[in-house]
Amino acid sequence: MSAVLTSLPFLQRIKFRDAGTLLGLIIIGTVFAVLSPSFLTGPNLLNVLQQSSINACIALGMTLVIISGGIDLSVGPVAALTAVLGATMMVAGVPFIVAVAGALCIGMLCGFINGALIAWGGLQPFIVTLGGLSLYRALALIFTGGQPIFGLPDGFRALTNGTLMGVPTPVVIVAMLAICAWVILSKTPLGEYFMAVGGNPEAARIAGVPVTMTKLAAYMISGLMASVAAMILIGRLGAAEPTMGTLWELDAIAASAIGGASLMGGRGSIIGTLIGCVILGTLRNGLTLLNVQAFYQLLATGIIIIVAMLIDKATSGK
Amino acid sequence: MTPRLSLSHIEKAFGAHKVLHGVSLTVQPGEVHGLLGENGAGKSTMLNILSGVFSADAGQINIDGASVTIGSPRAANLAGVAMIHQELQQVPELSVAQNIYLGAALRRAGGLLVDRAAQEAEARRLLAPLDASIDVTAPINSLRVAQRQIVEIAKALRANAKVIAMDEPTSSLTPTEFDRLVEVIKGLAARGVSIIYVSHKMDEVFRICQSATILRDGRLVARVDLPATPVAQVIELMVGRELSHVAHQSFATDKVLLQVKGLSRGRAVQDAGFTLHAGEVLGIAGLVGSGRTELLRLIAGVDSAEAGTVEVSGVAVGSGVRTRIKAGLGLVPEERKRDGIIRHRPVTSNIGLPAMRGFSRFGIIRRGKLKARSEELMQEVRLRPFDVSKPIGSFSGGNQQKAIIGRWLAADTKIYLFDEPTRGIDVGAKAEIYDLIEKLARQGRAIVVVSSELPEVIRVSDRVLVMREGRIAAELGTAEITEANIARHAIPAL
Repeated sequence: MSAVLTSLPFLQRIKFRDAGTLLGLIIIGTVFAVLSPSFLTGPNLLNVLQQSSINACIALGMTLVIISGGIDLSVGPVAALTAVLGATMMVAGVPFIVAVAGALCIGMLCGFINGALIAWGGLQPFIVTLGGLSLYRALALIFTGGQPIFGLPDGFRALTNGTLMGVPTPVVIVAMLAICAWVILSKTPLGEYFMAVGGNPEAARIAGVPVTMTKLAAYMISGLMASVAAMILIGRLGAAEPTMGTLWELDAIAASAIGGASLMGGRGSIIGTLIGCVILGTLRNGLTLLNVQAFYQLLATGIIIIVAMLIDKATSGK
Repeated sequence: MTPRLSLSHIEKAFGAHKVLHGVSLTVQPGEVHGLLGENGAGKSTMLNILSGVFSADAGQINIDGASVTIGSPRAANLAGVAMIHQELQQVPELSVAQNIYLGAALRRAGGLLVDRAAQEAEARRLLAPLDASIDVTAPINSLRVAQRQIVEIAKALRANAKVIAMDEPTSSLTPTEFDRLVEVIKGLAARGVSIIYVSHKMDEVFRICQSATILRDGRLVARVDLPATPVAQVIELMVGRELSHVAHQSFATDKVLLQVKGLSRGRAVQDAGFTLHAGEVLGIAGLVGSGRTELLRLIAGVDSAEAGTVEVSGVAVGSGVRTRIKAGLGLVPEERKRDGIIRHRPVTSNIGLPAMRGFSRFGIIRRGKLKARSEELMQEVRLRPFDVSKPIGSFSGGNQQKAIIGRWLAADTKIYLFDEPTRGIDVGAKAEIYDLIEKLARQGRAIVVVSSELPEVIRVSDRVLVMREGRIAAELGTAEITEANIARHAIPAL
């Protein structure tokens, strides 16, 4: 397997930390492949990617926020709010392209509000987005009266339930978004600004980095990603529930951390985060195949996160 | 008489950099003794050794004739030495009594509970002769600085301190509060407590101290009796080192690049103005806290001014760091780790930050171009060849400083604002930084250098401004730049 890995030019350029995350995934995958014959089959692996795609979508935005020195606890409720508003528009007969665009704008608006309070208001990201966590959830519940919205148009549902060359469309969508996020982080000035602001905000400011705009951008991207995840999910389910997205923020933070993002800011990787998402997805899928109780799945997730952090600490020197 | 405290032949080095060369100091019981010297003379290191923060490489410490080993701040306390830092080390939310008993709480119920009542009663007793108006139950952060200082003194007395060292205790006191402190210090001395008093302010030293030890460049220069020794002589002993005779070459033109008018911010900077020409190096001297750093930050737009204007090439520039950078100003900050570098990021990213858009095409950074330019710049600033893709945090202070200078070169900055350009940099790299400043001047750029090291100011400057208490106290032309002249204007009340 290592011969295959080193023969790919893409993997030769992979960073040391990402290689470690990948190694973790390979070990976990190998264990499941040995224990369950149905794990290492094409349909099941696509299934893992499909199940990981929602979390990956959220985690892409989360990683950028964490790298810029913040955190976004409000992603789940933002997704719920955009889901019910977008679904309402569709059910009311608005063309679904317009409704989706509207929902994505609402996601960015939520992110803008978070970012404005943090960047201009000088409030702590944890507290602001904790407030957002309640606020956006409440808006979704109030708007719907707590009831799910059914009857989404088939045209819209076909978007997220189809496949492209055998790959489920949610995986394709998230893969494209991941490429965008990777380009932003490693190829554009904005990516350098995320790293600089998270690494040392005062030094970044003195060096002429637009700190306020950088923070705003991070939260707006996070809000946008939350709304994309919401669209994918309601498309698949055919309904929008105001209670959807519970604990999404924690899965996304876990994936980012497993992938090497430092909650102190300034460090993180899109590739690492994606592998982190797949690790979490693999764990759930594999344990389900082995008929392990859901309680133990939760236990395994917790252990993986802590083990990942311990390895991180041990290998990074201090 | 057996001295209360004697430090003999103290030696201390940080790496290869020796900061104390066999310094001795003696204090008698009940004596108030000044410890004098310029910034970097070794006063702080002496205090840190006395209070157990550092341990000396060689030398002996005796208290009341007995040899003591002071290996930690706690050991210093047990030996009877208390230190009152310039930045008071207190827990702001806790009460006066709790702060006095911090780490040594009085207990009851077999040691399980803190005996607050007893602590408060004791605190009241300790404070009574010092300042009876202080409420021992009030939180520390509700007190004025002067009162907080009194609380620190009470804490020292609680620990039965025989020697109390005070580092610049009056830097934030009003004259009336200072008078009060003088009374307290005299009262302590009368009770046999010895005081080591560190201050830049000659009038205070002459009013309080009976004697003083003068350090220069980590060496003992003299022990003098006060106030018998004339002020001028004390200052000469403090600053009168041989001038470093490197011929200074001026590249100043008469083209005005920067004009600063009436910049003010609180008490830190008041009505500061000057003109800077292309090719000119302007030194700004003054004591720590005289407003030099604050003035630079106002010019760079890092802090916003309450009044005043900044003009570059005759055009007024708006506020904000980014606006100022676009206008051609760049700050090389004093605290490199805190304000300068992004530690985990490669040298290229640190260099490219202000000009990232310039290195991009269609929104994508051209890494190859950034790397090539970084390498070119590093050659220009004579950085030993190294891998610019490694994190900047893995390089020495001198190399980090060169990278920060490279950052502004990359951004095509015209006016360089250096704050303590050689702080924490070894001697070899220092000379290179001076050469670099000269090179910038030769290329027609304008440079401001804030420095606490007078030889440095004299070495690099065409002209020197001396700041004192937030104001520009004097402007010295090339011929007038001498240590004595600078000191005369920098030190208040002379």
